[in-house]
Amino acid sequence: MGRSTGRAGTGPASSQAAGVRTVDGPPPLAPLYARSLLRRPRRAVDFPRTTVRAQGVRADVERVAAFCRATGFPVRDVLPLPVPHLLGFGLQVDLLVREPFPFRLLGLVHVRQSFEQSAPLPVDAPLDVFVRAVGMRAHQRGATVELLTEVSRAGTAQVVWSGRSRYLARGVRMPGTPVAEERLPAPEGEGTLWRVPADTGREYAALSGDVNPIHLSRPTARLLGFRRALAHGVWTASRSLAALGGPAPAAARFEVAFGAPLLLPSTVRHVARQVPGGWETAVRSRDGSRVHLTGRLTRR
Amino acid sequence: MTRRAAIVAGNRTPFVRAGRRYAQVSAQDLLVAALDGLVARCGLAGERLGEVVAGAVLKHSRDLNLTREAVLSTALDAATPAYDVQQACATGLETAVLLANKIALGQVESGIAGGADSASDAPIALDDRLRRVLLDLSRARTPAARLAALSRLRPGQLRPVPPRNAEPRTGLSMGEHAARTAAAWEVSRQAQDELALASHRNLAAAYERGFLDDLLTPYLGVRRDDLLRPDTSLEKLAALPPVFGRDLEQPATMTAGNSTPLTDGAAVVLLASDEWAAQHRLPVLAHLVDAETAAVDHVHGEGLLTAPVWAVPRLLQRNGLTLDDLDVVEVHEAFASTVLATLAAWEDEEFCRDRLGLEKPLGSVDRARLNPVGSSLATGHPFAATGARILATTAKLLAERGGGRALISICAAGGQGIAALVEA
Repeated sequence: MGRSTGRAGTGPASSQAAGVRTVDGPPPLAPLYARSLLRRPRRAVDFPRTTVRAQGVRADVERVAAFCRATGFPVRDVLPLPVPHLLGFGLQVDLLVREPFPFRLLGLVHVRQSFEQSAPLPVDAPLDVFVRAVGMRAHQRGATVELLTEVSRAGTAQVVWSGRSRYLARGVRMPGTPVAEERLPAPEGEGTLWRVPADTGREYAALSGDVNPIHLSRPTARLLGFRRALAHGVWTASRSLAALGGPAPAAARFEVAFGAPLLLPSTVRHVARQVPGGWETAVRSRDGSRVHLTGRLTRR
Repeated sequence: MTRRAAIVAGNRTPFVRAGRRYAQVSAQDLLVAALDGLVARCGLAGERLGEVVAGAVLKHSRDLNLTREAVLSTALDAATPAYDVQQACATGLETAVLLANKIALGQVESGIAGGADSASDAPIALDDRLRRVLLDLSRARTPAARLAALSRLRPGQLRPVPPRNAEPRTGLSMGEHAARTAAAWEVSRQAQDELALASHRNLAAAYERGFLDDLLTPYLGVRRDDLLRPDTSLEKLAALPPVFGRDLEQPATMTAGNSTPLTDGAAVVLLASDEWAAQHRLPVLAHLVDAETAAVDHVHGEGLLTAPVWAVPRLLQRNGLTLDDLDVVEVHEAFASTVLATLAAWEDEEFCRDRLGLEKPLGSVDRARLNPVGSSLATGHPFAATGARILATTAKLLAERGGGRALISICAAGGQGIAALVEA
């Protein structure tokens, strides 16, 4: 997933009269979700240049262990590659709710995610986390916004981990031709069965803070137009990464594209194929008719 | 003559008192951490080893393939087979003996032995009556049969059953058993405290001179065993109240200071043929020469932790050795009193003659050669990990002094014990 190329432009936040807003740490998300319902989206199809920052935050052992139990990673001395995303997620929500975007937070669809690190981060290390929007572009079903999360060891300037999250705002009209996303290869094969229980969304919500009602229960998901609760995309991506052979390389990039929602409970198939320099993965419905996720792990 | 297994390297996590820094991690996580460090230090990524054998004493029923599952999380070739072994506190050394025997027979060229235990993440079982009700319920095919099964449910069965640190056949905890042996051998409080002090001082000195640098990999920010008290003293140890043997006639002598607490951790050791080690350009520290296990009838009077008293003379005799031929003696410090009672038994003419069948006492262990870099009282004792910790430590001690002969002795629950000879 390259830098976005939408009309509204990219470029570092500093080039565009942008501010940095510091928050004390990951904010409680339930009030922010509630607030997002009340907020009127901005008229202009553009995104704010503000960076939201939290300094000295830690992924403590308890939280990392809960993440590992939920996704299948062993608890190592270093953070599993997706974990810094959890530290930045609250800042993403804060940015999307408090800053003016041309859409509401609730209803956004997570379509793409990448995690990349130049070196592993130790469990419990104090980290600085920065989140900003870096682009919008037209999409066949609306417009996408890309949020960049950057993480450095506290007090250092060097970004060692970065994540790109692309969300689709359905129905937002954006000038310009929709840019086709690069498709990720979807390996074929029988793979392994995952039995994903109904409480997966609640368990992951409790440890990640992502309490979006679509993940919590069938009634709350119905309010937002889904038949059943659906698994968090980052949970699905993390479990896929954890299921690959052996530990991920120290310097690596894992990118995923989300397809059909993974409704809970489900039995799905995980297919992984080793390729030069990494792995390709796919999570498919048991009958193979739907693809929930395609992913690619590359050694850096 | 068969070939001998080379001890190539060892690695472990720092050991941590239960309920502290490792409270949220499992025995499998700990085993992965220990393996990760060994794989990294010895360049084993992608390597297909002959086998990995390890175990845990506090083991969940879901962990039937604990070691194999741990191997699959490491960078070792997934074609490396693995199996689990469980022999209480002897587990870690027993795994090494099993692997060494396969190497000696030429069945495998290389492998990793070890163990992991988390007392923090201990299994909690269902009440056994409830378990039977549930099993019968799952077999019931008619509503009447289901009802019959359900009618046996009682509220009291819903209480979970935590693991007990007690011998099934005696009902006594290990500490209470050790207290009885200590009383029988009249092991004094002061002697126990002195042994504990030496353990802490020796381990602290070993850390200071970097002895553990290539035997241990930090985990979750822990760099040293958190039980280690470099600044403890006889006065501090003497001030602790006795915890075991308070119901005996003799004064109680065993305290939290001269007994090992519940500990979390993992340890592994790489064994190989000399040829394999040479091909992989890995220096050999020492060789595992021979081993002997023993058991005593602890249900009918023998001391629970005294089996090594029998194992060691048999091992030495088979190899034509005496205690004087040993440069290093590693006796696992389950309790200070266990070590001291073992040494006292070997010095006792009557006991050696009547019980061990020796013509003269086995002899005395030179204290300067006993646990020279500390043992379980200072490091802690994650049950299944202790054997691999001691084996790697012993091999390095011999390599460091440029050769020699060492004895390892480890007591275990169930009235069992294991002893091994290591040479460099």
